[in-house]
Amino acid sequence: MAGLTFKNVFKQYGRTKAQQVFDADKTVALDADKSVDATVRRVAAQIDNQYAVNDFSLECPDGEFIGILGPSGCGKTTSLRMVAGLEEITRGEILIGGRMVNNLHPKDRDIGLAFEDYALYPPLNVFENIAFNLRAKGLPDEEIRRKVMEIAPLMKVEDLLDAKPAGLSGGQKQRVNIARALVRSPSVLLLDEPLSHLDGKMRQILRTEIKRIHKQINCTTILVTHDQLEAMSLSDRIAIMKDGRLQQFGTPLEVYDNPVNVFVAGFIGEPPMNLFKVGIIGNARERYFHFAERGIKVRVPDKYGKAVFPGDMVVLGVRPTDVLIEPDNPAATDAKVAVFENLGDEKRISIEVGPEDYLTLITDNEKRYKPGVGIKIIFRESKTHIFDKSTGERIQGE
Amino acid sequence: MRESAVSFFFRNLFLVFWALFALFPLFWMVLLSFKSDAEMFSTTFIFTPTLDNYINVLLHTNYFRCFLDNLIVSGGAVILSTLVGVPAAYALARFNFPGKEDLAFQILSFKFAPEMLVVLPLIIIYNRIGLYDTYLGLIWVYQLITMPLLVWVLRGYFEDIPVEVEQAAQLDGYKWHQIFWKILLPLIRPGLVAAALLSFIFAWNSFTFPLLLSGIKIIPVTVEALRYIGTDTIRYGQMAVAATVTALPEVVLALVIQKHLVRGLSFGAVKG
Repeated sequence: MAGLTFKNVFKQYGRTKAQQVFDADKTVALDADKSVDATVRRVAAQIDNQYAVNDFSLECPDGEFIGILGPSGCGKTTSLRMVAGLEEITRGEILIGGRMVNNLHPKDRDIGLAFEDYALYPPLNVFENIAFNLRAKGLPDEEIRRKVMEIAPLMKVEDLLDAKPAGLSGGQKQRVNIARALVRSPSVLLLDEPLSHLDGKMRQILRTEIKRIHKQINCTTILVTHDQLEAMSLSDRIAIMKDGRLQQFGTPLEVYDNPVNVFVAGFIGEPPMNLFKVGIIGNARERYFHFAERGIKVRVPDKYGKAVFPGDMVVLGVRPTDVLIEPDNPAATDAKVAVFENLGDEKRISIEVGPEDYLTLITDNEKRYKPGVGIKIIFRESKTHIFDKSTGERIQGE
Repeated sequence: MRESAVSFFFRNLFLVFWALFALFPLFWMVLLSFKSDAEMFSTTFIFTPTLDNYINVLLHTNYFRCFLDNLIVSGGAVILSTLVGVPAAYALARFNFPGKEDLAFQILSFKFAPEMLVVLPLIIIYNRIGLYDTYLGLIWVYQLITMPLLVWVLRGYFEDIPVEVEQAAQLDGYKWHQIFWKILLPLIRPGLVAAALLSFIFAWNSFTFPLLLSGIKIIPVTVEALRYIGTDTIRYGQMAVAATVTALPEVVLALVIQKHLVRGLSFGAVKG
């Protein structure tokens, strides 16, 4: 059992030695020459783009379940593979239980990795697949048997021990894959998109299983996924990455309720948060978000009184569940229903706020709306977010 | 879909004709080997079988030495090809290096050039560096025959093995040679067996190279068979015996590995 720490970790895209030397020279030049001229700055920008993982720092306390979430190509799998020792670390440090592992052989890092596409050993049966690591350590046969028999029921693969990987279903393969990672009692368990190749039902079952196993063995676990639902449901805390950079690190609730920027806001949540570029109009006391194309005005919450002013452009973010229908509220805004979808336990209403731009709201109200009818809406003030239109960073209210 | 009786009949009829056509020369060769010189040119199938040719060739000539020579150079060539070709195929499948495809294609291109094209410069080079008429020299030149097949078949096999499997084994604490023996070798075995045996047959049948690059101390059977063409007469019977005995190992090998051959050359490593 141990915590895991990333300290300013960089990973350069695969480049030849010569190119790396070239880049290093440029970096030195950059540091030495403070009178930054345009060419040097351009080189700096190029170097910046060469990192698959860029200044990544993360602290995972012992026993926690951390989800690394991001779109494909954001560097999340690379980060995981750097922990495992399958990728070299260009710069920075990775510590497991306070011990720097940068230069350790993968087998000495005390980690278990479940590969995305299982990577079981085809010539060996399930028992030998799980036992493979123990065999390498040269444990006596009866101890290997004992350990495998301990893990097999946990992962529910005890009936498959004689089968060859080729005969297993995807879900079974993934169970064996995780069992193989667990059998060595690792300090840190790494799961690389464990559910991405499974179909809907099996995905749900195995998701619950992973949660259960983590509760049971309480091992520091890193889950890499592009599925926000998976990350939200499994993780104690979520790290959201984009283009090699960490965007936000916090509990699922934190990242859901207080996204630090437009990217996180749009990435977390299903259906996604409504994000619109809007103008601010009004006067010193009363300010409104203005959807100019359809002339819709929504009151700006008071907490943003000192943050935005008439004439500003901002990105407005509000989750579909935080748009409320309040016919009796005098402050509510008039709008027109464009689409009404009844999904059974929830109803989705789309309101046209611009050409091809729809504000979605979700309600469990039983009332049915016909397209074209008027509707009065307000935004839940505490859950209305605004973001800087150029940087995408969240603008804090009071 | 069930095929109709008519197409079934004609298909098999065609196959029978084709088999007769392909096998007839072999059949005729075996017949010749049992004929006496007097009956050699009769075109009927009726003759008095004799073992004289066999006795002459097998007991009174150095046929067995030649047979052994062939075994040494062909076997040696396949062993060398395996030792060098397996790592080469692995490297071509796994690593990215400049000129990788060119290198792979060059290995394949050894098969394109007619042997006669390269053999003349080779004679000169071999004479200069003392490889002419040596086992090593022949084994080396046979690499042109055996290596391309082995490398290209095994490259495909290695490419079919996900690299994660090796990484998993690495995480499990295995050294590269352990990973090779425990994980990779079982996966490439069908391809290795098929490619090795097929290239052995090609090497065994090789004629141009041993004819021109050896012939005094080392005489493979393919070359030895020529000796029965004398200045005054051609001893067809003895030649047929030599050819028949030479073909035996190949026939046996082909029958034994038939299953491997078809599977090994047409199946990937981890499919199915």
